[in-house]
Amino acid sequence: MTGNNTRAARAGGLLTNPFSKLGRTTVLAIIFVLQITLTSLLVPGYFSVWGLLDASRAFVEVGFISLAMTLIIITGGIDLSVGALLALVSVTIGFSYQAGLPLGAACALGVLVGVAGGTLNGLITTYFRLHPLVVTLGTFALFRGIAFAVSDADAVSSFPRWFSFFGQYKFGGMVPAQLVLLGICAVIFWLLLAKTPFGRYVYALGHNPTASRFSGVATEKVTVAVYAIMGLMVGLAGLIHTSRIFSARGNAGFGLELVAIAIVVMGGARILGGSGTIWGTVVGLLILSYLQDGLSFAGVRGDIGLTIIGFALILGVFLNENIQKIR
Amino acid sequence: MSHNPDTETFAGNPSNRRRGSAYFNTLLARPESPALLFLILLLVVFSVTTNGFFSASNFLGILEQVVIIAIVGLAVNQVILSAEIDVSVGSVLAVCAFIYGNIAMAYGGNLLPLFAALAVGTAIGFLNGVLSTYGRVPSIITTLGALFIYRGLILLLAGAQVLNVPKSSRVLGLSDLAGIPVSVIVLTVLTAAFYWVSNNTNWGRNIYAVGGNESGANTLGLPAYRTRLIAFVLSGSACGLAAAVFLGQIGQLQATAGTSFELRVITAVVLGGTSIRGGRGSVFSPIVGALLVGVILNAMTLNRVPGTMELFVLGVLILLSVSSEGLRQRYLEKKI
Amino acid sequence: MPDVSSPSSRRLLCALRNVSKHFGNIQACQDIDLELYSGEVVAVVGENGAGKSTVSKCLYGLYSPSRGHVEVNGKPVAFRNASDGEKAGIVMIPQELDLFPELSVVENIWMGLERPRYWHGAFNSSAMERRARQLLHQLGLIVDVTTPAKLLSAANGKLVEVARALNANAQVIIMDEPTASLTEREVSNLFSVVRALKRSNVAVLYITHRLEEVFEVCDRTVVLRDGKMISDRPADQETEAGLVKKMVGRPVEQLFVRHFHEIGDVVLEVEGLHSGSTFQDVSFQLHKGEILGISGLIGAGRSEIVETLFGLRDRTAGTIRLHGEVANISCVREAFDHGIGMVPEERRTLGLILPFSVKNNVTFSSLLRFTRGIFIDTAAEDKFAEKAAREVTIVGAGLDDPVSALSGGNQQKVVVAKALARNPRILILDEPTRGVDIGAKSEIYRIIDGLAKQGHAVLMVSSELNEILAMCDRTLVMREGRLVSSFDRKDFSPDEIGSAAAGVAVNPSVA
Repeated sequence: MTGNNTRAARAGGLLTNPFSKLGRTTVLAIIFVLQITLTSLLVPGYFSVWGLLDASRAFVEVGFISLAMTLIIITGGIDLSVGALLALVSVTIGFSYQAGLPLGAACALGVLVGVAGGTLNGLITTYFRLHPLVVTLGTFALFRGIAFAVSDADAVSSFPRWFSFFGQYKFGGMVPAQLVLLGICAVIFWLLLAKTPFGRYVYALGHNPTASRFSGVATEKVTVAVYAIMGLMVGLAGLIHTSRIFSARGNAGFGLELVAIAIVVMGGARILGGSGTIWGTVVGLLILSYLQDGLSFAGVRGDIGLTIIGFALILGVFLNENIQKIR
Repeated sequence: MSHNPDTETFAGNPSNRRRGSAYFNTLLARPESPALLFLILLLVVFSVTTNGFFSASNFLGILEQVVIIAIVGLAVNQVILSAEIDVSVGSVLAVCAFIYGNIAMAYGGNLLPLFAALAVGTAIGFLNGVLSTYGRVPSIITTLGALFIYRGLILLLAGAQVLNVPKSSRVLGLSDLAGIPVSVIVLTVLTAAFYWVSNNTNWGRNIYAVGGNESGANTLGLPAYRTRLIAFVLSGSACGLAAAVFLGQIGQLQATAGTSFELRVITAVVLGGTSIRGGRGSVFSPIVGALLVGVILNAMTLNRVPGTMELFVLGVLILLSVSSEGLRQRYLEKKI
Repeated sequence: MPDVSSPSSRRLLCALRNVSKHFGNIQACQDIDLELYSGEVVAVVGENGAGKSTVSKCLYGLYSPSRGHVEVNGKPVAFRNASDGEKAGIVMIPQELDLFPELSVVENIWMGLERPRYWHGAFNSSAMERRARQLLHQLGLIVDVTTPAKLLSAANGKLVEVARALNANAQVIIMDEPTASLTEREVSNLFSVVRALKRSNVAVLYITHRLEEVFEVCDRTVVLRDGKMISDRPADQETEAGLVKKMVGRPVEQLFVRHFHEIGDVVLEVEGLHSGSTFQDVSFQLHKGEILGISGLIGAGRSEIVETLFGLRDRTAGTIRLHGEVANISCVREAFDHGIGMVPEERRTLGLILPFSVKNNVTFSSLLRFTRGIFIDTAAEDKFAEKAAREVTIVGAGLDDPVSALSGGNQQKVVVAKALARNPRILILDEPTRGVDIGAKSEIYRIIDGLAKQGHAVLMVSSELNEILAMCDRTLVMREGRLVSSFDRKDFSPDEIGSAAAGVAVNPSVA
């Protein structure tokens, strides 16, 4: 353990933690380039800038969620409710619009429901001092249950034309609007995590919540904030999702939590908290998403995606927990 | 003041002069007692308010639904007592049912498909357990990953296949002994076995030690990994057995079978009074909890609450029971 | 050991042969040679951080030595874990209660051991209970053995742990500071238990830093200092002063640094402070430039008081006045705003973020000082951390090293630097030198003295009476959640403070 620490020390302090991982992020980035090259060689007709950009529309939503999931996992928490919350956001937008609310207001309401759901997770976790795993398992059922109950297995798809902007507009006919938004969010999250006191508190909370409290960090507020940020991201993702598929239904976002956690873990965050970076998550997002994209382009059935993500998740955590030991 | 579910509180002890009200207090302090009282209350309320609730056939129906939850719950209870979690049981149940169905359709009989399902379930449980202990992957990750891996495989393999199990291979779901369904008898025997093992083996006692005070268990050199591994293995095996009952009851399998089953099981365990933090709970917790879940879902159906509400209700139940546990902890902290 | 004569009736049970243990580049103990004979009580004494617990952990198998080996009944053994040690008859009773709170007393006494069974294979619970009652009776404890362990008092919990050790057929029992949280009566009861163990030929390794206990129950004394064995002699050839000198390694006067001076106005006034059932009705005043000690047993409520002052615990009644004005402190940030800083009891779990660098730990409580707009100004942070590290003399470690790689002494200095980074006017120190080597200890005393001289008010909780006697202007004594007495420096007497803490009046004819 100590040997490991001295190694981290040479790489340069706490900020050791994020920065020593830069090595890993670089390795992952190289893997990503190789992966795209390999897929392009193996699958004729796969490679085109337009095609790759267009494919990004499928993963931007999980991208937003992964950014926030990075924060949550660094604090040592987890959020299993995001897929269900996304469905709830989508259903809120669709059914409040159908019930007569102006679409703009319906969208705002949807995002607000996202923030409220995330905040609820944070509040229950801190107030009852429960592990977020149990709390979000409960709210997973709760959110999905409300989404089902409201939509009653129905879907809303009668949106006006302009609503397609969030999920279907492309700048210059090439760059999807939501991809640009994701890029901006990634930069904001990076600044937040690496450059602000809040980011420092997030890391500290994952290492040692008690010592953080003794150091004057308002640990409960930071925790609630992190889950509320997740709520906001789920709100945005739900809005984009609804706009992209132009329909609101209760079964949206199935398995999303798994994908987001797998991405973050693949990006190098330890599931026990204290480490992880935004750029790691971004590269993890690209690798896993284009893996699925390549497979489906090659005609492999989509169901196998669940299996692959499940494997990636377990393998990622296994490596993160054991590699340092082997060295 | 609360007690652990020790044998000796029940085993009559001649030298102990605690009788009457003291004995009653001990009974009340058992982890599953609040849930049991709640269950009795619900039974009374629903019997009065809901038409068709209070009838032998309805109770039997509830029991049959509860049996599957309870069988798996007995094992998942041990996992949670050891301060771990298993959220993979929905998919594992589906995989085992898939195996059971295919073997039954190919070879017929009951024992061979049962053994096959048990073997597959046990193997999956073993894999989950090894990764979660010796592999140092937190159990939530292992079992969440497993939930999706096996669901993906089932969708891939069984998505198009329609499984119709012959009646002769559905003994565990259909037949009865003296009017009592075989599955209920199996559950009763299994519960007794779990009770005995929990109280009369080192493993059964170590579960409470490892889950209640991990560092203390390490100081004594208790085999924490092995103890937890066995709990995961049992959870897998229980899915194998439950799959046989499940398929026996409904006779055919869809690829989405068992979706959100893990939520029902975890709800049953925590509702029955087992602490989600581990170390506190009773062998009977999942039974009482499963009955509660069964009674509530049944009353919803009878009162024409749409089935889409089920997840909502499960979510509320999980949150309520873990929050009350959280409150209990807060209260204890204040007292000390 | 050449200087220990062992009568032929006494059998060599186990021994450490040339044992060293290091963690990374930190040497925890070095070349320890120690033999334990049946029926003897061996005291292991030493200052905090001298390596007492490392030595004992090597003996019962929790650590495997980096060099050297353990010997049982004359044969070298290699324990892989604590249960191997237990099978060889070496059982540890840790300082903090380590029972299974939800399980009953019987269950605790039998945990990890081979339980009796009926012919049909079930555990024979009545035999288990009988054995438990018998063991507890032998130790003079009468409780319902089916009570959950969480309802036991600290002293009774300790006895249950001894009962479990006896149940494991222990030949060697290691007791780590067994009296740290016991009252006087409970202590004398424990001593009679130790004497009874001795009569039944059990060897007891008795780790303590209370020297008066050494002469009461121990046959032999082993002194450790900075991980090395300094002496090993029969207790009757030792004196308390001699032991202290060996433990400290220099005259005591040179360890402590204290310049006394005029004390200023009241800065902190506490009146009728309660926090639930942890402590009641605590009132005292703290002055500018004063070092005020809080003495007492572990669990007497000392840490809880300072945690309440620091906003970590809810206050249920009473008032806190700062500079004459009522202050409502409900969280740490408010304590900071009122100029209160704290060095908590456990630096590894409460004081530091271990994987963070020295620099990031030093500035962690005061990050907003180094924040321009919403971003951290790393240049200002670096500059400040460098200056702070120099002031508390952190040596041999870089600012970018993770604190986990530092020695206990340096870690503690980082905690002090972190508390000082907010320029507190009132500094709370909870066991400021626990687990710190002698050199660093002296430097920490120098820092504390310097702070008092600059006019800071210091509130110091300590279990080390020497520390209280040498450093404080005044000391309060707590017992069972209440403030029982207060001594001015001119009235300081180790005996009186000790007995006030333990709950007996000093009988002049005996004292």
